[in-house]
Amino acid sequence: MAAGLRAVRRWGLVATAPGLAFTRSAFVVKKVNNVQPNWLGVGLAFGTSAALWALLIKQHNEDVMEYERRKQERGHKCTGCS
Amino acid sequence: MAFLPDESRSLPPPPLLNKGSVWLGFAGWMSALLDNAFNQRPIFRAGVHRQILFATVGCFVGYQLVKRAEYMHAKVDRELFEYIRHHPVDFHTATG
Repeated sequence: MAAGLRAVRRWGLVATAPGLAFTRSAFVVKKVNNVQPNWLGVGLAFGTSAALWALLIKQHNEDVMEYERRKQERGHKCTGCS
Repeated sequence: MAFLPDESRSLPPPPLLNKGSVWLGFAGWMSALLDNAFNQRPIFRAGVHRQILFATVGCFVGYQLVKRAEYMHAKVDRELFEYIRHHPVDFHTATG
């Protein structure tokens, strides 16, 4: 069956995997180069991570300050809740 | 409705590492490891920048989601206590 398929492909009647634009077989992947680091990707990933952590920590500190400020404003009138 | 209304800031903010942010950060890290596995790379040693990025995104999203969950729970509690306050007859403790 494989030989027959090879023959059919040679005749150009069956599209080979690179020719299939709309489907992507799991057995045919593009050649990724994992040896050389993708420095742009690495830089972007680390930069985004640093920015996200900075944003998160800044937001958390702002939340704490805002909560404390509102607690002071309220003057803690009711004793039933925290 | 907004994701986090202004009155949600009156609530005590959850700690930075709470169950939501830790779990989603862990899930992000796992998905980076899974990506390594599917692309036949060394699972832990490859793509550390990717692992850190996915974990960070998970922590960030988890923190926001926990804040929103705490706000929704507090809102429901407030409505519940208001209802109890307005209908004392239904909530007699000792006599009923």
